Amino acid sequence: MALSIDPGIPGDPSMAVLVVGGGVAGILAALDLARAGRPVTLVERSQRLGGQVARLDKIYPTDHCAFCPLWTDIRSCLEHPGITVLSSATVRKLERTGDRWAVRILREPPVIEERLCIFCGRCESACPERAVRPLLDQAYPPVYRIDGDRCTHCGQCEPVCPTKAIDFNRRSVEERIVVQEVLWAAGFQDGDYKPLPEYGYGTHRDIMTALEFEEWTAESGPNGGRILRKSDLREPSRVAFIQCAGARDLRNLSYCSAVCCMHALKQAAWVKKRKQDINCTIFYTDLRAVGRDYFKYSINNVPGEPLRLIRGRPGLVVALPGGGIAVTYEDTLEQERRIERFDLVILNGNLKPSLKPEGEPGTLSLDGEGFVDIAVGFGCGFAVEPADIMDSAIQAASVSMRILGRENT
Amino acid sequence: MAETVVLLCRCFGEIDGVVDLDGIAGRLREENQDTSVYLLDSLCQEDDGPKIETLFREEKARKVITALCAGDRGHHSRRNALRNAGVGPSGHATVDLREGCAWIHRSDPAGATEKALDLVSMALAALAEKETSRDVTTAVHPRCAILGAGPAGLAAAAALAGQGIPVHLIDRADRPGGMLNLISKIYPEDDDAKSRIDPFVREMEVNERITFHPRSRVTAVTGFAGNFKITAEGPDGPFRFRAGAVIIATGAGVFLPRGLYRYGELKEVITQIELERQWIKGTPEKKRFAFIQCVGARSPERPYCSTICCPSSLKNAVRVVAEIPGGEATVFHRDIMTPGSVLEEYYRRSMEKGVRFVRFQEDGPPEILGEKAVEAVRVRDAGSGKEHVLPVETVVLSTPLVPNRDNGALSTLFRVGLDSHGFFSETYPLHPLETRLDGIFIAGSARWPVSSEKAMEQGQGAAMKALALLRRDRLSALSLSRTPEEKPGHGTVAENACTGCGNCVAVCPFEACALQERDGGRFVSRVNKMRCKACGSCVSVCPNGTMQIPEQNYRVTAAMIRRSFSS
Repeated sequence: MALSIDPGIPGDPSMAVLVVGGGVAGILAALDLARAGRPVTLVERSQRLGGQVARLDKIYPTDHCAFCPLWTDIRSCLEHPGITVLSSATVRKLERTGDRWAVRILREPPVIEERLCIFCGRCESACPERAVRPLLDQAYPPVYRIDGDRCTHCGQCEPVCPTKAIDFNRRSVEERIVVQEVLWAAGFQDGDYKPLPEYGYGTHRDIMTALEFEEWTAESGPNGGRILRKSDLREPSRVAFIQCAGARDLRNLSYCSAVCCMHALKQAAWVKKRKQDINCTIFYTDLRAVGRDYFKYSINNVPGEPLRLIRGRPGLVVALPGGGIAVTYEDTLEQERRIERFDLVILNGNLKPSLKPEGEPGTLSLDGEGFVDIAVGFGCGFAVEPADIMDSAIQAASVSMRILGRENT
Repeated sequence: MAETVVLLCRCFGEIDGVVDLDGIAGRLREENQDTSVYLLDSLCQEDDGPKIETLFREEKARKVITALCAGDRGHHSRRNALRNAGVGPSGHATVDLREGCAWIHRSDPAGATEKALDLVSMALAALAEKETSRDVTTAVHPRCAILGAGPAGLAAAAALAGQGIPVHLIDRADRPGGMLNLISKIYPEDDDAKSRIDPFVREMEVNERITFHPRSRVTAVTGFAGNFKITAEGPDGPFRFRAGAVIIATGAGVFLPRGLYRYGELKEVITQIELERQWIKGTPEKKRFAFIQCVGARSPERPYCSTICCPSSLKNAVRVVAEIPGGEATVFHRDIMTPGSVLEEYYRRSMEKGVRFVRFQEDGPPEILGEKAVEAVRVRDAGSGKEHVLPVETVVLSTPLVPNRDNGALSTLFRVGLDSHGFFSETYPLHPLETRLDGIFIAGSARWPVSSEKAMEQGQGAAMKALALLRRDRLSALSLSRTPEEKPGHGTVAENACTGCGNCVAVCPFEACALQERDGGRFVSRVNKMRCKACGSCVSVCPNGTMQIPEQNYRVTAAMIRRSFSS
């Protein structure tokens, strides 16, 4: 058996670990623990493993497609005999019983049962609302899902399914398990822009977050990798990337989200790789390119005319009546205030840990910003501290070691 | 009873709605004796593993072809079922009849049927020629060699020893601690650096599983994951041992800014490390400090950010303000690099405590004024565009960590790659502590500049990766794969035809090929199966086809081509 999924020594059920979150951090920690003989239950809220990284078109600094290596680890996770993956599931209750945790997990099975779906696509053709779509182009195993916002429950998809995978009356199931440790790896999500009206988010379709832009421009995305405005599907000639939009901002997130500088540099470079004459401007505060080859990436990676880097945080983003978006800013290195028109505005930085101080089951200790307090519990990835892929992977390995170490203390 | 079983999946009409599967089944039976053909509604729905296993036992078949969709969600359970029935990778082939055949040729059913028959027949032809790589196993030596006793190496050693794994900890210095010995406090907790070494040193003294080799260095390495033979040189002469895994945690050097900012000319211009030395001795005498960032970093010579210099300056600037009566500190920087929540908070706190920040641009670096001693710093403040002259007494230069000088030699010794700067590099961002060689891991500033906290984290992480190997009794060569599937085979030499040209030795990225002398002074190539990754480089340069991967040998390809062009 391949080492990647070989349990090696048989797992002791009394040493089981619950991993919450099936993104990069959770997947890698689950594999590390299982390879060391710990039985693992991996709970993922969404329908698939891979987290935010599976949504990325490219990853920095290699510019590789994110999915192939991730896919390999996801497959290992799904196939490892010591790992039980529960998708579409959330942790509802955690209770201390003796020296263990009693966990109640709620699984809300999707309308389309994954194990039965053969990805034939008949449901997609039958749906009058275009509510049935592939879960994700690269998701493994390939599977369809129903978009709850579009679905009218007309039921036309149900009879065409050859394997009877579609069932609108599927009930949620509660599972109870007992584990020795709980590891939080719930990652991050886009934060709310409502408290920050000056960025104009929600007022115009061409003002979007970096994650939305990534999906919009992905090679496997809706436009096959072309760079278009959302408003009229025409090519933009000027794109603005606004860094720290909502981060390093005491009114919203006081911290630096750590991944956004490189993310913007990557996106801007790919805009230019696909269409060289699009002007890309990055508004930054400090250009934090600190990892291996990140600085080189920031200076070398752009074909043709270089990126325009402006130090300054725009104070106002307004959609113009005649089309386009006005960005008001001060270039703090030139000491000049300006207003410029852009066709697309990408907001970067408002990334919040997914765990919420109020909503989580008891005993999880979060700090004021929603990060897991690692003095009290185990965590890895963005749930603990803003982290990119590499940081998350390192944290996953080291926290797994600390969990193993606890048995000796 | 049949030698080969062909399983054709109808996929609920998705395939046989276009392709005439019944016709194909008939043609296949006609053309191939000793072959049983089965048509199934689906190969993925119910657990088809047991079904296939039974079918195999009954047929006593040795080979199987599954013709189905490209997604093939059942392949894992099927692979296991086949393995249970005694069929390995060389006895199994899959053919995509849905996405690549039925779907894309929907408008041409006759053509699609011809193509489907061709694809299955080609797979049959291939299976007839596939051979099986002979697997080998090795005993795992449950011991780890850790190079470098700095924060990363010490954390790795403690973690592994705690799991019952003996470690050999090798360092050039005469005491453990590495860079921690040179600094006073560590950020972001501002603990004494000594407090981070002491627990490890105590652990080392009492834990018999940790053997510390001071003033030593590794001079030779052979072997592979599970069984490295390591030779090192210490004060008492050379010593040898075996280890199942290796962690390289040799740290980094510090760039000496000779000739920059009048370093070496004025004695009040010092480096961060020199300031740390002052703090270790007591409180520095001077009051007014300037910190200059990116000295020799983010420059054409060293185009990288060294990560740790901004937080280090913040730490020392806060200390100047807080611990020296009347102390003043100004940080001259290009960007303040404090990503994340903890370091950003650290930065904000330093501003609250009174540290001043002045931004300069790369083309307008600060200038040190003063004839015989530092008197002031002149700079064009990028934030206001105005020139300032700030009276200071000491200038602290933040210089980057640089790759250790012996990284090149170590990389040759262990066959581990270096990046363009000279730091040890990982295989892929998703696996940052793993190298291209199984069993060799990297941690700390040897791989990329990191703080001591992060170095310790990486040391623990590398230990975790090593543990997955070291807890096993034996390792098989084919199991050394990073995918759920076993390795697809390994390079195999037909010794009597090998001319000993050495091409394979030159191209192998994993140093798996080597020339061995035979009787009569003849040289032949031998493949170390534990190191081979089945990349095929050796096959492509072998002048007479002696080197092959048996599962994918040249006859397999030839048979498929021949079949595809015969009618």
